[in-house]
Amino acid sequence: MSQNKITSDLLRGHTDTMILRLLSEADRYGYEMVKLVAERSGGEYELKEATMYSSVRRLEADGDIEWYWGDESQGGRRKYFRITEKGRVTYASNKSNWEYAKRVLDTLL
Amino acid sequence: MNEKLTTYLNELFAPYDGIKSVGELKADLLSDLQERFRELKAEGKDDETAFAMTIDSIGDIEETVKEIANLSQSLERQVRINLRAMNLNESDFAGVALHKGKFKASALRGANFVGADLTGCSFATSDVREGNFDGANLTDCSFYATDLANASFHQSVLVRTDVNVSSLKGAKFIDTRLTDAELAKSDLRTATFENCTFHGVDFKYCDLRGIRFDEQIFSGVRFDRSTLKDVSFRGATLKNVSFRLPISVTNKSYNDFKTVCFDGAMMDKLTYAALKGLWVVDLSNVAVI
Repeated sequence: MSQNKITSDLLRGHTDTMILRLLSEADRYGYEMVKLVAERSGGEYELKEATMYSSVRRLEADGDIEWYWGDESQGGRRKYFRITEKGRVTYASNKSNWEYAKRVLDTLL
Repeated sequence: MNEKLTTYLNELFAPYDGIKSVGELKADLLSDLQERFRELKAEGKDDETAFAMTIDSIGDIEETVKEIANLSQSLERQVRINLRAMNLNESDFAGVALHKGKFKASALRGANFVGADLTGCSFATSDVREGNFDGANLTDCSFYATDLANASFHQSVLVRTDVNVSSLKGAKFIDTRLTDAELAKSDLRTATFENCTFHGVDFKYCDLRGIRFDEQIFSGVRFDRSTLKDVSFRGATLKNVSFRLPISVTNKSYNDFKTVCFDGAMMDKLTYAALKGLWVVDLSNVAVI
């Protein structure tokens, strides 16, 4: 992991959007999301459990996502998260804000 | 090893024991960490390495716990105060500070609210017969369809308190200050008022039959369309007080108003002139100030 503090903060600032993206594809449980972030970033970014749950609780409070108990036949029950219609709107808007910021930053940096 | 994880989390979360949302976070976290630990073991890591890597994946949990505790404690507090449809007969709320509490449809007969700060509370459709509000602050409280029969309001403060379609039969108001309160469509028969002050109080469509308001102070008070048969204002001070009579096709309201006694009362010119205009009351023993 070769990221300095600035990079890490920059990425962490987009945790909500990362989670919304993951849930817009399918309903997922906590550890699954952490694992997917590591996989997709090729190990470049590790989403910490604390960061993920802080984001998840905020998204829940805002009505962007909701949860339900999965029906696992074995092992402990898993809590699955699901995106709401409001969450899809939030995701689209966050994503377009990022596209805009990226375009502007590319011209400035 | 699962025990070791549980112990680790227990210690981490100990300061927040009892906060429901934090307990939920702990359970979610434990389930994730167990799965990670199992996977690391399956990859061939030894216990110590797997444990260290699992703990490392948590990150700055203290920060998250604090955030979550704050986020949901305010929600939980609201739920706690939502004492809806509960049996709280004879309950003791003496001296509590309970702002915007909702006692909707609650059984509060004989409940003790002595000295409590109940600013903004709602007692809609509750049974608070014999409730004791002595010295309580009832600012911005609302009583809608509330049964307050024989309740006590000794030295209570009623500012903008809203009493609507409620019963105050036999209620006792002693040394009570009523400011900009509204008492509408309520039954106050046999209520007692002693040494109270009434500023900007609006009594409308109330049944005030037989009430003695003797020696008390009224300013900017309206008794519009309330039933005032046998009401007494002996020795009271009335400034800018209005008495519009109930609409009646018979002379009933005039006949009722004839029975109101103002002997020894002091009133300003405005109030005096309005009363004189009604023709029916005896103002011979009134002092105009």
